[in-house]
Amino acid sequence: MKFGLFYEHQLPKPYDADDWDPDQEHRLFKDALEQLELADKLGFDYVFEVEHHFLEEYAHSTAPEVFLAAVSQRTKNMRLGHGITLMPPRYNHPARVAERIATLDLVSDGRVEFGTGESSSEMELGGFGVDRDEKKLMWEEATRQCVRMMTETPYGGYEGAYFGMPERNVIPKPLQKPHPPLWVASSRRETTMVAARLGMGSLGFAFETPDEAHERVAQYFQLVREECTPIGIAINPALAIISSLMCCETDEEAMAKGVEGTQFFSYSLGYYYAPTTGPNHRPGRENIYRRFKDTPEEERMAMFGLRRRLGGFGAGGGDSETEPEDEVQRALWRAAQRGGCIGSSDFIRETLRKYEDAHLDTMIFVAQSGARKHEDIMDSIQRFGTEVLPEFKERHEHHQKWREEQLAGVEYEVNSSI
Amino acid sequence: MPTTKVDRIKDEKLRESMAAAHASLRSGDFLDVVRRAADAYLALLERKPELLEGMMGRLRVMMFPRLGARLEQEEGKAPVVEWDRETFGFSEAVTYFEFAVDQLVREEL
Repeated sequence: MKFGLFYEHQLPKPYDADDWDPDQEHRLFKDALEQLELADKLGFDYVFEVEHHFLEEYAHSTAPEVFLAAVSQRTKNMRLGHGITLMPPRYNHPARVAERIATLDLVSDGRVEFGTGESSSEMELGGFGVDRDEKKLMWEEATRQCVRMMTETPYGGYEGAYFGMPERNVIPKPLQKPHPPLWVASSRRETTMVAARLGMGSLGFAFETPDEAHERVAQYFQLVREECTPIGIAINPALAIISSLMCCETDEEAMAKGVEGTQFFSYSLGYYYAPTTGPNHRPGRENIYRRFKDTPEEERMAMFGLRRRLGGFGAGGGDSETEPEDEVQRALWRAAQRGGCIGSSDFIRETLRKYEDAHLDTMIFVAQSGARKHEDIMDSIQRFGTEVLPEFKERHEHHQKWREEQLAGVEYEVNSSI
Repeated sequence: MPTTKVDRIKDEKLRESMAAAHASLRSGDFLDVVRRAADAYLALLERKPELLEGMMGRLRVMMFPRLGARLEQEEGKAPVVEWDRETFGFSEAVTYFEFAVDQLVREEL
């Protein structure tokens, strides 16, 4: 199994102020660069960076191509993932995406992972005038054309439902041939099955249990073998899921340093995506962190229709009420309830072994979230990188052999960094 | 393990319909896929009305994909599918198909 770090660039406002400190955003990005430089030295395999817009406090990662370009000059081996690029053309013209992906691939010596997606918050869709009901069609059309632009000389042009342009040679071309590995954001199980059928990696945001991951992995690879018609030229058979990370000497220390950040991650996500709060956000005039702190723990998720209280961590934590059945709601609930990999090295190692047994390709960690301190994040990355990561790296060749068996007979070219 | 889980659907008619939807998915008839998926989900809710009770019931109406065909329910009435268009893309059809099969298998219908 491989490991990566996932960045939203969360920036809660100070509790007792209506705006951020003047240097706070600057520090956020510089700290993240330092964290990634350390992670690269320790052998983390990936960074994945979101693209979101207008989601104050929740995600200040609006220009991932700029940040990843900076990362490319501070790291040597780490793969640079867009997790994801918003593909509906009103967000990003497909030609501009192709140009930026290729340029990043060139300046990073071929380290780009091209993640794609649509977004679903009203702040973003409404802000850019993207029709919610048709955003998946837009994603599919734009992604297909974007890959053509990276691989055709010249790009032959296209007139589609949501985008059109005449013949042009879109330059530069990416260093990786025929194109960087392709991914799609999969917050719902169904999208993982779309990914398999199109030969794309699945960036899962569902906080799955190992049992669920096991079933999904099996179904995914079967579809790759039996029903895949690639959206690009090379396929990227790969499954990644997201978890939270705070690795400390003891479980208690990890909870003290990590749980609130994970809770804020879920709370602010729920705030922007829930129909009761997201569309009513008052730009520039809210303090979500203050709302979070002022809301009793047991009520924080109930306001978004999630009935379970926020609490402990680990697979058995919390009370006994039933999980929400809706996948998105369940993902939020789990992120808040379990906290993922928050604990001692032993706890995290034990948790990850279950995912390794399920043949998961990659675990991507949210290390920076909420008001977690930079120093704590650095210590956590250092501890995980020295005490947990090495044994999984040693065993990765077994996983690669398993993957070869899964992909036996697949006729398409594979470009995957797993 | 069957990929699409279609053969784990117990009800013969629904299983045959979703198998036909699978064939339509592969042949490019995406409207047929979405129609069959919508019909199957409505059949599930009709046979198990308890699934529509309470807050989870409202969620079950909301969680049906809203990609050109959406599920709507007026107070006290059975849910109905509202069609915003009759053309669908591949990824949309897969989304509806996988959703319906998953729900049928989960509810052991």
